[in-house]
Amino acid sequence: MAIKPNCIVCGIIENKIPSKKVYEDDLVLAVLDVNGANAGHCFVMPKNHYSILEQVPDIEIGRLFQASNKISSAIFESLGAQGTNIFVTNGVPAGQTVAHFTINVIPRKENDGINLQWQPKQMSEEEMSTVELKLKEQTKNIGYFEKEEKKPRIHAPKQVVLSEEEEEYFTKQMRRLP
Amino acid sequence: MAEQPQLSPEQLKALQERIKQMSPEELKEFQKKQCVFCQIVAGKVQSKKIYDDDKVLAILDINPANPGHVLLVTKEHYAIMPQIPDDEVAHVFMAAKSLSNSMLKSIDAQGTNIIVANGIAAGQRAQHFMVHIIPRKENDGINFVLPQKEMPQNEIEAVGNKLIAALVGAAEEEKPVIPAKIPEPKREEPKKESKKSEAETKQETRSSINLDDISKMLGVK
Repeated sequence: MAIKPNCIVCGIIENKIPSKKVYEDDLVLAVLDVNGANAGHCFVMPKNHYSILEQVPDIEIGRLFQASNKISSAIFESLGAQGTNIFVTNGVPAGQTVAHFTINVIPRKENDGINLQWQPKQMSEEEMSTVELKLKEQTKNIGYFEKEEKKPRIHAPKQVVLSEEEEEYFTKQMRRLP
Repeated sequence: MAEQPQLSPEQLKALQERIKQMSPEELKEFQKKQCVFCQIVAGKVQSKKIYDDDKVLAILDINPANPGHVLLVTKEHYAIMPQIPDDEVAHVFMAAKSLSNSMLKSIDAQGTNIIVANGIAAGQRAQHFMVHIIPRKENDGINFVLPQKEMPQNEIEAVGNKLIAALVGAAEEEKPVIPAKIPEPKREEPKKESKKSEAETKQETRSSINLDDISKMLGVK
C-alpha cells in the first residue's frame, strides 16, 4: 500500500484515526462521514494514496465505483433514502479539500438542504462546436481500459445436515420423479 | 427536454394496461422509444458526440454548467445506477476518468466534478442513467452546497450497522462475492515498500504537467 505520511485519509486507512467502517476489501475502504451532509453519508476511498482521479489506475477506479454503487444500493435499502448522489470533487477549484481521492455517496431526501444543481450557461452554437472539437481531439486516444482478471473464487460447499425426517421426505420426493 | 403530452385519465389507464401486457422484450423497446437518451444512442436525436464505445456514449450537455460539460450515458437503458451490472459500472467510470483527463488537457479545466443522481430527490431529471462530468475553474460561479451536520457517535454507529447489514446481505445473495467487510487489524507494511511504490506513482504521473499542477494545488509535493 502506498501510504502518504500526514495524509488524514491514509491515517484513517491505517487505523490511526478512528472511523466507522462500512466496507473494506484489499483496495477500497468506505467509512461514514462524521460531519455528513445527511445521516449515512459515506466516503469511499482507495487504500493507496492518490491525490486526484487521473492518478488512480483503471482497476482501482472500477473497484471504487462498484463499491460506491453497492453502498448506494444499501442506502436505498436500509436507510429509506429517496435518492442517492455519487459526487466527486477533483481538484481544488472543484471543491476538493483533502489531498486523497475520495468518492462521496450521499443519501438524499427532498428538501434536505443539499444543492448539487447549477445554472445552465448560455453558449452559442459556435462555442459548442469549438469545445466539441477540442475535446474530441483528446478523446481519440481513449480506448483501452485495464481489466481486472477474474480470479476463480473457491467456495466451500454448504454443509447441510438433514434430520432423519427430512431425509425420508427428500427420498420420497425423489421416488416420485419419473 | 420536450414536454410530455398530458394524457387523459382514460388514456393513462389504457396505456398502463398496455404496458402490463407487454413481454419483457416489448417493454424494453417501448422504454427505448420513450427515452430521449436511448434515441440519442440510436442516433435518432442529434447530439455532439465526444466519445463512444461498445458500452457508453459521451455527449456535450446542451444546458452546460460550464463549457465542456459532458454527459456520459450507458448505451443500454438503465434508470438508476443500482441496476447496472458490476463490470459495466467499472467501464463507465474508467471512461469518466479518461474524459475528465481530456478536459484537463484540452480545455484548460483546473478540476472536474463527477455527479450521479439516483432518484428525483437527488436531482435526477431523465429516465436514463448518466454521469455528469463538469470541467471546473476557479470562480466559475458554480457553488455546490454540502451542509455539514453534526452526528452523535451513537447515531453514526447505528446508521453504520444498518449499512453493514445491508451490504453483507447483498454480498451473500450474489455468487461471486466481494468479501463482506471484515474490519480486521491492519497489518504493518514495511516502510521501504511504501516509499518505493509512492515513487512509482509519481513517475507514472510525471509525464503530464497538468496533473502535477492540479495535485500541487492540494498541497501535495
